[in-house]
Amino acid sequence: MSEIEWPWQYSFPPFFTIQPHAETKARQLKAWHTLVLNYFKANNLSSLDIREAHQSSLFNNSSIDRKLPPEGILLVLEDLQKSGNATPLDKTRNRWLVYWHTLEEWAAIIYSWAQANGFLNTVCTFFELVSGDDTNEQEFHGLDEEVLLRAIQVLETQKKAEVIPIDDSHGVKFF
Amino acid sequence: MGALFGKQKPKSRVTDHDRAILQLKQQRDKLKVYQKRIQGTLEKDTELARKLLRDGKKDRARLILRKKKYQEQLLSTTDNQLENLEKLTQDLEFAGIEAQVINGLKVGSEALKKANAVFSIDEIERIMDETREGVEKQQEIDEMLSGVLSDQDEEDVLAELDDIIKEQKKETEPSPAVPDEEMDELPDEEMEELPDVPSEEPQESTAAKKERNKQPKEKVAIAAS
Repeated sequence: MSEIEWPWQYSFPPFFTIQPHAETKARQLKAWHTLVLNYFKANNLSSLDIREAHQSSLFNNSSIDRKLPPEGILLVLEDLQKSGNATPLDKTRNRWLVYWHTLEEWAAIIYSWAQANGFLNTVCTFFELVSGDDTNEQEFHGLDEEVLLRAIQVLETQKKAEVIPIDDSHGVKFF
Repeated sequence: MGALFGKQKPKSRVTDHDRAILQLKQQRDKLKVYQKRIQGTLEKDTELARKLLRDGKKDRARLILRKKKYQEQLLSTTDNQLENLEKLTQDLEFAGIEAQVINGLKVGSEALKKANAVFSIDEIERIMDETREGVEKQQEIDEMLSGVLSDQDEEDVLAELDDIIKEQKKETEPSPAVPDEEMDELPDEEMEELPDVPSEEPQESTAAKKERNKQPKEKVAIAAS
């Protein structure tokens, strides 16, 4: 796992306790917001399970022996959800998808790539998009297929693409 | 309801053709994954064989290398298959593009047909006839208008025109008159002397020229009055 540059707050013990004061809390959540997205982007992660989150160095700074408790993680994730950067995967809100680009942004990035490379009106497999040779330079290379599916579904609502279920995977046709 | 409608409508935009291509592409992806796996085991096997040789287990190393060889063959087979698949995919995609081109041509040709249908040959003949009639009429009118002037007037007009032309000629190019005068007036002696002029002083020659130029100019003035 590649390390990111931790912000100063990361070595600041109170950062790992959700603050009671509303204004401080808002600022704290905002810092967490940025930190989580940076961390996910740097490590190319897309999903998170709150029950296992304390194992990740993101929420667990062993050098100062501080952990963000599960309730705190949930708060951070709910904050991310508000900005469109996270979605819960189950009703217990334990498993989450986190997007360092919102789905709308991903959709726009993918569509502009398809447009620029003449993929309109052709079909592509999801594998081709995230692991193919054509997309090596693209930001969405290596993107989680679940996130990709959701991004393409955004395009679908804009009538710019259509998901084609095929066997155990998906394909997409850009328009 | 809306979601249902929205879903059903774009469904029609994916053709069987697309599905076929997608199927091929998926097959290709699977082969690629398979190749990656084999490549991984190949590397591991080479490593293992080396280790076995170091440990002095020659037989086992040979066995591993055999397995490796077999997998290399598999890899090249899959390469061929991959090539075939990609070719077929491209052919299919190209066929789709060709179909679009043909469709475009069809639409274009139909539009052309429609446009041509508006003008039948008879119609064009009629229009051409009408145009010709129009031109003739115009000519008649011209004739009638020019007929207002009598022959005498026409002659006067022509004479005036000639005068103007003559005047213009004299004004713009008086020199052409010079050679004529010279030829008439200059005796043979001078003609013979002429070649010598360049060798003499330039001043003299220009002076001579000036004199000669004067003569025709006077003549011109007389002719004009």
